[in-house]
Amino acid sequence: MADQRSLNATHAGMFPNLRRDVAFPVVGVGLLFGAFIAVGLLYQSLFSGAAERLVTIALIDAIIVLGIQIYVGNTGVLSFGHIGFGAIAGYTFAIFAIAPAEKAKRIPDAPFGLTDVDVGSLAAVAVAVAVTVVVAVFVGIGLARSGAESGAVAATVITLALLFVTHEVARHWPEMTGGERAGLSFRIGGALDTRMPIYLALAGALVLARLFAQSRRGRLAKAGREDDLAARAMGVNPMVQQMIALLISVAVVSIGASLRVYETGSILPENFFFNYTLLTLAMLIVGGRNSVTGALFGVAVMTVGRELARRLGQDGFEVFGLGLDSAPLDWIFRENLQTVFFGVAMLGFMIWRPKGLLSDWEFDDWLYRRFTRTQSAPVVPETTMDSDQDARLEVDDVSVAFGGFQALSQAGFEVRSGQVVGIIGPNGAGKTTMLNVVTGLVPATSGRVRLNGADLIGTPSHEIARAGLVRTFQNLRLFGSLTVRENVQVTRLVAIAEHDDRSTPEADVLVAAAGLWDHRDRRASELDYGNSRRLELARAAAARPLFLLLDEPTSGMSDTESLAMVEQVQTMAALVGAGVVVIDHDLDFIIGICDRIYCLDRGTVIAVGTPEEIQADSAVQAAYLGSSAS
Amino acid sequence: MTELLQNLIDGLGRGSIYALLALGVAVIFGVMHLLNFAHGELITVSGYVAFWTISEGWSWYLVTPIIIGTAIVTSLVIERVAFSRVRGSSDFTLLLTSFGVHFVVSAIFLLYVSASVKTFSRPGWVTNTYSIGSLHIEVFDTVVIGVTLVTLLGTSWLIQRTMFGLALRAAAADFDTARLMGVRSDTVIRGAFALSGLLAGIAGVFWLMRAGNTVPSAGIAPMLKGVLAALIGGLGSLRGAVLGGFVLGLAEVLLRSRLPDSVASLTEGFVFLLIALLFIFRPQGLIRVAHAERV
Amino acid sequence: MLEVSRLTTRYGAISALRDADLHVGSGEVVGLIGPNGAGKTTLLGSIAGLLSPAAGSVTFDGTDITGNSPEKLLRLGVALVPEHRRIFGDLTVEENLKIGGITQSRDERAELLHEMGDRFPVLREKRTVAAGYLSGGESQQLAIARALMSKPRLLMMDEPSLGLAPVLVDVVFELIETLRSQGRTLLVVEQNATRMLEVADRAYVLRSGEVVAEGTGSELRERPDLFDTFVGGNGQ
Repeated sequence: MADQRSLNATHAGMFPNLRRDVAFPVVGVGLLFGAFIAVGLLYQSLFSGAAERLVTIALIDAIIVLGIQIYVGNTGVLSFGHIGFGAIAGYTFAIFAIAPAEKAKRIPDAPFGLTDVDVGSLAAVAVAVAVTVVVAVFVGIGLARSGAESGAVAATVITLALLFVTHEVARHWPEMTGGERAGLSFRIGGALDTRMPIYLALAGALVLARLFAQSRRGRLAKAGREDDLAARAMGVNPMVQQMIALLISVAVVSIGASLRVYETGSILPENFFFNYTLLTLAMLIVGGRNSVTGALFGVAVMTVGRELARRLGQDGFEVFGLGLDSAPLDWIFRENLQTVFFGVAMLGFMIWRPKGLLSDWEFDDWLYRRFTRTQSAPVVPETTMDSDQDARLEVDDVSVAFGGFQALSQAGFEVRSGQVVGIIGPNGAGKTTMLNVVTGLVPATSGRVRLNGADLIGTPSHEIARAGLVRTFQNLRLFGSLTVRENVQVTRLVAIAEHDDRSTPEADVLVAAAGLWDHRDRRASELDYGNSRRLELARAAAARPLFLLLDEPTSGMSDTESLAMVEQVQTMAALVGAGVVVIDHDLDFIIGICDRIYCLDRGTVIAVGTPEEIQADSAVQAAYLGSSAS
Repeated sequence: MTELLQNLIDGLGRGSIYALLALGVAVIFGVMHLLNFAHGELITVSGYVAFWTISEGWSWYLVTPIIIGTAIVTSLVIERVAFSRVRGSSDFTLLLTSFGVHFVVSAIFLLYVSASVKTFSRPGWVTNTYSIGSLHIEVFDTVVIGVTLVTLLGTSWLIQRTMFGLALRAAAADFDTARLMGVRSDTVIRGAFALSGLLAGIAGVFWLMRAGNTVPSAGIAPMLKGVLAALIGGLGSLRGAVLGGFVLGLAEVLLRSRLPDSVASLTEGFVFLLIALLFIFRPQGLIRVAHAERV
Repeated sequence: MLEVSRLTTRYGAISALRDADLHVGSGEVVGLIGPNGAGKTTLLGSIAGLLSPAAGSVTFDGTDITGNSPEKLLRLGVALVPEHRRIFGDLTVEENLKIGGITQSRDERAELLHEMGDRFPVLREKRTVAAGYLSGGESQQLAIARALMSKPRLLMMDEPSLGLAPVLVDVVFELIETLRSQGRTLLVVEQNATRMLEVADRAYVLRSGEVVAEGTGSELRERPDLFDTFVGGNGQ
């Protein structure tokens, strides 16, 4: 069994579909890379002198911006700290790459005998990447934990603090960094005499950024970006995805930062601080943070914009050589205009176009659609999956208290493969709390939740999902800016890591079975209410759970729709071979679908039985239909 | 023991300013879910006003209300020009908007004043100390702690006992529903920005008295202290923000006095290390805010 | 009193509501029924100012109020009890009521508070309790009392019986009956079509974002094309 599992995991691979997820992206970024370089070289040949350096700087900026995109774009967490990581990498690179003779002048007393270290520039880049990635592991744990607890805002503050602290340390540790004014420098101005390393690094960054976005990890990270809690409930652990994205992202930034230091020939604390953070973030935001194409486009647009602002600030309209009089605008054409330009650009885009010029648009997506024929709907298999497994979920004596309120006291239920079990009860009886305990969202004060004998109490919710308990949400928590198909694909990726790829229904089959084939390429946020509910169901089923846990699947639905839902739930459960636990307050729906019903009242189970027995039970009537108000 | 007591008093003085800044950050975070990275700009602007007025020979007694007024007005203007346009946007947009505001404000001073440091004279009593036993207490710290205490009591009264405070709390809990009840969104949000400006103004007076100078990027440090303290305390909790401010102040003072001289200048780095550890072991901050997330 | 004409509201690409016409006369109790996703909540939200309509108009007492903010509408006399009640759980019961009366003068508010205490004794009994600890039925009473604190001339309710056990559904409909007997003007969205038609003067049926029928309870019940709206009818 274990062997088969590892075999299947390999079979699942890093990329769901090689043509779509590797071939097209690589060709796409190849073309983008060519275009970017071509524009650069053209610009360079048109304007002499400083233009060459401008293009070199833009190429390096692009590497760093792409590095930031890998983290910010895929996880949705805004980071101000990447330039702080850049500072760490930049100093590490400088300390290892600068010749001992030069270091003896600036930092003769560097600790750990670093003054005499001489490893050459290539090895220095490797050291810089390694050191920075180690720091990133530490910072990343804090980021992931606080982000999970208090939302992405908390994580952002930590990144900002990191930026500030690296700056402080760089300023106040002159033995190591040469201090605030002198800094560290190579002997001659620019130490880099060929652009080849920059080209290589940029090409690498582009491929890495694009492939990561399409990889299994990248997709799981994006699920977390869209809805952290829902991602966990589907078996995704966003902490892991964020950490991996951070490390890859920081490695790319480190290479870019090393090149930046090498190209400039020196490093000062100011080089990797607020201004450069603003510049790189503005490039990313203006282009479109969720897209690699957008990030590259943003670098181009903002480089031109910055240069124009700088020249306007210096010379006014003379820049254009049209004989325009810029005197009336003298109050704005001043030195440092480019800083205002970046601030205003960022502010303007946030107010009027927060997703940037290209938003989610990706060049190779367009290529793929252009060169791929339209598909017809897959056939939903009539034969259902054999439920050869005999799984059982046993919940015993669970108690939960909120403050002074006893939500559940010694309640429980039991379900086996192939069964549909319902939980009913008046409002406030503890139905949803029961589901939250089972899926690990609410800790139980006491009691046991066992899946095939293994106790799940205290297990994190994403592991519970992987163990085979996957839920839907009463108030709809889809991955809004992913398409219908991607919503299903993401959870399927989790399933095929745990199960056999071939026996898990294709994402397209599940989409078709849910009646959403015509909407497959729509964003989930554009679906209407009924379709959203159906997608919730399909997405949960795609995780191929042992048990589907449905929280009020008909809440707010009319009776006709409730009736249709009975069939949809049965189809989905049969398709993946899952047992079902369903909570609802619509008695007709529950009676229509369940083999066995538990009735909860004020946190305890007051009756168990077949639908007929429950309908006839006097205790149920008293509690649920009866006379005494709660 | 004496040294610890001394640290405690120094830390309270420093922490008071942080607490006022953090409370201002937390008030706005409550109503708008905006973590205001432009909060420090209130002090940047106030700093230049202090520079212009004091170099004209005005006394600090006159300049103090002017600074507080400047902070309130600046806060309201920033709300009107930038934040009112992104109400209800995603966290990402809100954060970057405030970051953009930070840059635009400091760039304006860079463009129209200068990049260099502008100094102004500090009131004479700032450096005075008095002794109780072997404790040396700064007059300045005493004033700061006293004023902060009064301010915090006043703010608490405003939020707990007045209709405005009730509206603020209702809006923080559920903005749309508060509007359905007739709570004017403009009134509540502008009120929050005015309150935040007032708190930043009071903190700013002390900050500037101690610093005696300003630069275009002067807002970064107070902003960072404010947001970090709010985060340490637990985002969304007003009490937590105040607590976070005092904790941060104490931690800084304790580290600075305890670290060996050779690394004392790296205090900020060690403080960050402590904060990172705090978030690894207690990611929700000191005071946990109940998430009203319905599942 | 309320006149809605050709109102259209969109979420992104989807029109959740198309060309809806509706009117409510003074003292009338009007129901809005229809299957889930029909646009009922969207219609109320568009009238109350929570959503901005793409086209059409809403007039209240002859004044055009299309696209006005909810806080302005409340001052004109239009109140909405939102779906899921949306009680401020951290605030006490009394604070919730005070917020409801924020547009009133201090004295008037005190008087209304007293009045609500008489009408809903359980709220007086629990006035210092955090509203999050109320039971489902109690918090629905609080939600309605909170809306009444603004002395609305038109009270709209969105699914007041949603998520309540049948016993408590009875309590809600009794309350609607009481308000009706006091001559209040009500516009109520309800899933429970059968029960709603018993208390409403008239009702509109929405389906897929459009108003498909209008009439009194008996008129609507007799239309065979609307059968599925009533079939089963949760009425236990």
